[in-house]
Amino acid sequence: MGSELLSGFRMLDLADEKGALCSKIFADMGADVIKVEPPQGCSTRRIPPFVDDVPDAERSLYFIAYQAGKRSVTLNLDSPDGRALLEDLVRKSDFLLESFPVGYLESIGLGYERLAELNPRIIHTSITPFGDTGPGKNYKACDIVSWAAGGPMFLMGEEGKPPLEMSLPQAALHAGAEAAVASLLAHYSREIEGHGQRVVVDMQACVAWTLMNEQAMPILHGDYIRRSGVHYTAIGTRRKLVYACKDGYISTVLAGGSGVGTTSMKGLVEWMAGSGFAADWMITKNWATWVPGILMKATDADREEIADLEDRVQRFFNTMTKREIYAEALKRRILLAPVATAADIADDVQLKARNYFVRVEHDTLGRTLTLPGAFAKFSVTPVGPGRRAPRLGEHNGEVWGELLGIDGARLARLRAIGAI
Amino acid sequence: MKRYALEGVHVLDFTWVGVGPITTKYLGDNGADVIRVESAARPDILRLAPPWKDAQPGIDTSQFFASFNTSKRSITLDLGKPKARELVLKLLPWADIVAESFTPKALRKWELDYEHLRALKPELIMLSTCMQGQTGPNALYPGFGQLMAALSGYYHIAGYAPGEPPSPPYGAYTDFIAPRFAACALLAALDYRRRTGRGQYIDMSQYEAALHNLAPVLVDYFASGRVAGPAGNRSERYAPHGAYRCADLDGQERWLALAVASEEEWRSMLAALGSPTADSRFATMAARMENRAALDEFVGALVRERDADALTAALQAAGVSAYPVQNCVDIHRDDNLESFGFWHWLDHKVMGPSPYEGMAHRLSRTPGELRTPAPTLGQHNDEVFGEMLGLDAAEIARLKEERVIF
Repeated sequence: MGSELLSGFRMLDLADEKGALCSKIFADMGADVIKVEPPQGCSTRRIPPFVDDVPDAERSLYFIAYQAGKRSVTLNLDSPDGRALLEDLVRKSDFLLESFPVGYLESIGLGYERLAELNPRIIHTSITPFGDTGPGKNYKACDIVSWAAGGPMFLMGEEGKPPLEMSLPQAALHAGAEAAVASLLAHYSREIEGHGQRVVVDMQACVAWTLMNEQAMPILHGDYIRRSGVHYTAIGTRRKLVYACKDGYISTVLAGGSGVGTTSMKGLVEWMAGSGFAADWMITKNWATWVPGILMKATDADREEIADLEDRVQRFFNTMTKREIYAEALKRRILLAPVATAADIADDVQLKARNYFVRVEHDTLGRTLTLPGAFAKFSVTPVGPGRRAPRLGEHNGEVWGELLGIDGARLARLRAIGAI
Repeated sequence: MKRYALEGVHVLDFTWVGVGPITTKYLGDNGADVIRVESAARPDILRLAPPWKDAQPGIDTSQFFASFNTSKRSITLDLGKPKARELVLKLLPWADIVAESFTPKALRKWELDYEHLRALKPELIMLSTCMQGQTGPNALYPGFGQLMAALSGYYHIAGYAPGEPPSPPYGAYTDFIAPRFAACALLAALDYRRRTGRGQYIDMSQYEAALHNLAPVLVDYFASGRVAGPAGNRSERYAPHGAYRCADLDGQERWLALAVASEEEWRSMLAALGSPTADSRFATMAARMENRAALDEFVGALVRERDADALTAALQAAGVSAYPVQNCVDIHRDDNLESFGFWHWLDHKVMGPSPYEGMAHRLSRTPGELRTPAPTLGQHNDEVFGEMLGLDAAEIARLKEERVIF
C-alpha cells in the first residue's frame, strides 16, 4: 500500500549512506526502489549501533531507518554477467542513484553515456563528496570530513576545544535529500520532454547550505563567528541560547523586536515577575526596540542588561523541569523549546496528536519497530514508510525472475558464478 | 526544448523567513516563475537581519534575505485589506502552486486558505509549512528554526560528553533540512497532477520533516529505550575520527578533520604522515577504539605543527579522508567549491555585486541557475499588477495610496 505519488516509477539504488535518504524519500512517495547491493551487502548494513547491540546485516538502526520501503537484490559488478544484469535493470528503470568514486562506473563501461544508450529516459544521479571536476574529485570524505569542508563544523563546539559534529552524522543526509530534489527536477523535465539526464550532487556544497546567514558575514561585515558553546556570538556580543533547568536544558531567544519577539519577552517577564524573578527594569522595558546582538549592535548598556537578564532567566529556569517550562511557554507564546531527547520526542503530544510515528512489522527480527512517519501530509496521496527494510537479496527472485524474466536454471547459474 | 526543468510553472509564494523561501528558490532557479507576495506592513524578518551590504541595515540590503530569494519577483500586498485579497484572487488562475508559511490561522482569517482557494481552483497544489503542522495542540507554536533544532533533538546530540551543556549546531539548523523535503513534495505533486489532473494540499510540519535526519536515533529509542546523547567526535565506525589542531595560519587556529575507516587506511595514514609504526594499542580498529584518548593524543601530536592544507593533500593522496575544518573565509576560496561553480556574485539592484550560494547539484541537460538576484521589496509591482493583471497606472497609483499595494 505504497503512496500513489510516484507509483509506477522505479529507482535503482547503488549508493552507500550518501544516497540512503534520497531513495528513502522516493520509497516514501511510492516509487519502486530496488537497492542493488554487492554480495557482502550495502555498507549501511554495517553502521552501528545495532538493534540490541547485536551486529548483524539486518540489525543496523541506520539501515532499518533509511532503507525502509525498498527492495533488495544482490549483484556483483565485478562480474561481466553482473554488469549485464544491471544493464537489463536500467532498461526497466527511471532513475539510477549511486555514490561510487568519480569515474568508477565509466571504468566498468557503465557511465552515463552507456546508461543513456540503454535507456534514454534514465536519470543518473551521482552523489560526490567534492563534485566531479575539481582538484578534490577523487578525495574521500567520511561524514565528518564533509561536515568540516562545508563550514558548519567550525561553528560548533567550545573555544579551546575541538570543533564538533553531531553524534548522528548529518552530511550524508543533506546530500541524500538534495539528490532527491535534483532527481525530481530532472524527472519533471523528462516526463514532459522524454529525455533523462545526468545529475551530480556535491556533498560539500550541500553542507555549506546549512550555514544560514554566516557565509557572507566575512565579506560584508569583515569578520566571522567563532564557536562559543551555548552562545551565539555576533554583532559585538554573546547571547546565551541554552539554559539549564531541573532535568536538562531548554533553549530560548531573549530578544524583542518584531511582533512575536515582543510578545515572547513580555510573556516571559510577566511569568518571572509572578514569582519574583524579574528585575524592575525588565518590567518597564520597551521590548519592541530591544534586539541587541541579533538585529542591532550592542552598547555597553545593552550588555549590562543582557548579563542581568540571562542571569535571572537562568535562576528562574533552574526551578522547573523541561516539560513544565515548555508547557507554560506554549501558553504564554514565549519563543522557547526544550533541548529534547529522543525520549521527549517519542512522548511529544503534538506528534502523537498528528499520528506521526509509524509502526512497521519487522518479521526479520520478530518484532515491530517504530519509524518517523510522513515527512509531510498530502491530502490526496499520503506518503510514508510502507514496509520494513529488506533482507539482503530478499527480492532476488522477484526482481530477477518476475521483472527481468530470468528462468530458474539461468538464475542458478548466475548464482553459481557469483554474479548475484 | 525548454531551457529549464520548470519553465512554465507558476508559483504564488506567500512564504517568508527560511524554509518556504529556500523551497521556492529551488523552483525559481529551475525556471519557474515565482512571485513572492510580501508587505511593508509585515516585512520578511530576514530583510531586516544581517549580514547587510556595507554592514548597513535596510529593507533591501540583507544578504540573509537575498541568498534565499534569487530568481523570484516581489510584489507587495497588505493582505489584511479586502482589495488585496481581490488582487490575490485575480492572480490565482495563473498559479500552479500556492505556498505559504504563516502560523496556521493567518490565511484562514484572510479567507485565503486552501478550502477557499480550492473552491476557485480545484487543481491547485498548495503547500503550507509551519513549525509544527496545521493541526494538533501545538499548531500555533510561534518559534523558528533555531528553536526547532532544539525541539527536534539536534541540540541534545551536539556536545562533548553526556551531562555537559550542548554545543548546538549554528543557527536555524532545521531550516536547512525541511526545504529539501518541501521541494520534493512540490515537485512530486506537480508531476502527479500532470499525470492525473489532481491537485492537492500539503501540510508540512517542519518538526516532522526535520526528524527524518534523526531517524536512527528515534528508531533506537523506541526499540531499546536508549537515549542517544552527545559524543564529542567519537565514532563507533572510524578510529581515529575527529578534528585535530594543526599549525596556526595568519594568527588563526586551523584544524584538520580526519577519519580512518580500515587497517589499510590506518597504515596509509601513518605512511603519509611519515610516522614510525605506532604502538600496539593502535594495532587494530578495535584496539584504537579501546584506546581513543591515547589515539587522539598520538594523532594530535603528529599534525600539530603542520599545515592543514598540506596534510589534506598528503592524506587524500594516500586514500585517507581528511580536510581542513573550514570557516566562512575558507569556503569562499575553496578550490573544490570553486570548480563546482558554487559561488556567484550577482548584481543586486540596491546592494550591487553580492555573494550568493549557488546550487549544490548540477543537471546536465536542463541546468538551473541563479537567474536573477533577489528582488527589492515590491520591485515587480508595476509589472505584475500592470502587465499581468492589466491594471492601469492610475489604478495602481490609487492602490498604492490606499496602502493595498504596500
